[in-house]
Amino acid sequence: MRTDPTDNGGLFVGRRPGTAPVRYRGVPERGSAKRRAVDRLLSGAILAAMILICLAFWGPIPAGGLWIAGRVQYVTDNLGLALLAGFVSLMVALFGGLAVLKRLDQAWILVRRAAGFDQRQGVLRFVFPVTAAIGVAAFSFWLIIIAGPGASLAPGS
Amino acid sequence: MGIRGYYKQFEALSEEEVNAGKRADAAARRQRELARVDPLDLTRTTWPEYPPPSIVNAITFAARRGLHRYLDRHATQLRGELAHLHGVPTERVVVGDGAAQLMSSAAQALLEPGDELITPWPSYALYPVMARRARGHAVPVPGFGVDAILSAVNPRTRIVALCNPNDPTGELMSRDEVARLLDALPERVIVLLDEALRDYVDPAIEARDAALDLGEQHPRLLVFRTFSKAWGLAGLRVGYAVGGPGAEPLLERLEPELGLNELAQAGALEALRTAADLAARRGAIIVEGRRELTGALAQRPVAVAPSQANILWLRAPELPGAELAARLSRAGVDVAGGGRLGDPDRVRIAIPHRPELRERLLRALDGALGTVER
Repeated sequence: MRTDPTDNGGLFVGRRPGTAPVRYRGVPERGSAKRRAVDRLLSGAILAAMILICLAFWGPIPAGGLWIAGRVQYVTDNLGLALLAGFVSLMVALFGGLAVLKRLDQAWILVRRAAGFDQRQGVLRFVFPVTAAIGVAAFSFWLIIIAGPGASLAPGS
Repeated sequence: MGIRGYYKQFEALSEEEVNAGKRADAAARRQRELARVDPLDLTRTTWPEYPPPSIVNAITFAARRGLHRYLDRHATQLRGELAHLHGVPTERVVVGDGAAQLMSSAAQALLEPGDELITPWPSYALYPVMARRARGHAVPVPGFGVDAILSAVNPRTRIVALCNPNDPTGELMSRDEVARLLDALPERVIVLLDEALRDYVDPAIEARDAALDLGEQHPRLLVFRTFSKAWGLAGLRVGYAVGGPGAEPLLERLEPELGLNELAQAGALEALRTAADLAARRGAIIVEGRRELTGALAQRPVAVAPSQANILWLRAPELPGAELAARLSRAGVDVAGGGRLGDPDRVRIAIPHRPELRERLLRALDGALGTVER
């Protein structure tokens, strides 16, 4: 006799794992068609904000950290303190950014559901790696081609 | 509802919250199941536990080996094992679809229209039925004694059907008494000795095959045994009959025309080969339980017939059997009312095989008799 419910011979006899319907605390009161359209736009705006923040990790935030370190060194003439200030500000900005991204992702899910989509998971898990790939590629291009040996290998180009 | 509240309502329950609800449901279900107590069924004379897995496996193996061909219709192997067990030649053993079928066949073979079958009463309810089916008459004799039987014998008497130990009373007719009966009966009367409950007889009182030995001196004795009771294989419907020297032609007539089915043969054969002491062990359990239970019942206001079977034939003064059975049933213990078994003032109680179940029976009985505050 088969007693193990997961022993199904490789077939999913019930629901596939992870495909259970979303269970709400109560039945949500959905907005009008106009409101849903606004929610669709809003979800797009949130997505755009998430993309910008993610991209900021690979340029503006490190640059901001360097700027702070430079300002500290200029004012205090202390390299160690400048490095510490730069590092701390970088970490705060990175982790703060991640916290904001997580909240935005959750908000994006709720707005998408309000817009009428059966949204089960967030979009951050796609946005972050894609923007990271773009950011790394752009940084590498700047580092190697624009700011690095490329400039000396092909001066004037 | 504010903007925050509007979007908050789309928040899903976390997995933990969903599971908490399911866990609560499961706990409530488990609680209900634990609180439920199944009735204790003491209406049957069969063994209450499942057969040993080896026997079930043997039946399964026989089924898988192939049921597309005809079987050994004379059940040679099974009869050989039984003959070896009882120390008789194979020709003097016949197997059939339960002891009842073999006895019924014996009645068909022996009774002419108008012939009589004598049986002590109350006894196994099938005996009058098999007499009627063979176009004979059943003559129930009150009590369970040799003299009562002999007093009912007349020229039309052809069969004496004797359930020993008796169902439903549990009484045992000793070997000497059976011998006296056989000696006193006219030449034409055949004794069908139904020993379905024989395994429950206390070996200190009488050996298991004591009556079987009588066949050597009395060829008019047929002894019937079954795998349905102590062996716990009632679903297989296997019984057998053992006769004395010269009984072979009659035994042949009892055999099912096309033999015993192959699965039943496989199960019975495996039981004999790998669990030979099973019936004896279960018999010992019942002997112990019976001693304990009759001791406890002796201190209560009930009358119990002396039993050598796995049943007790019990009467409560001023309480009809049906009423006693109904009260016990309300307390979660089912027993067989005596009305259909031959005495409406009594109930037949199968002896529980475990001490805690005997305790439960006694508690229910005390409640039914009103000897304790309920």
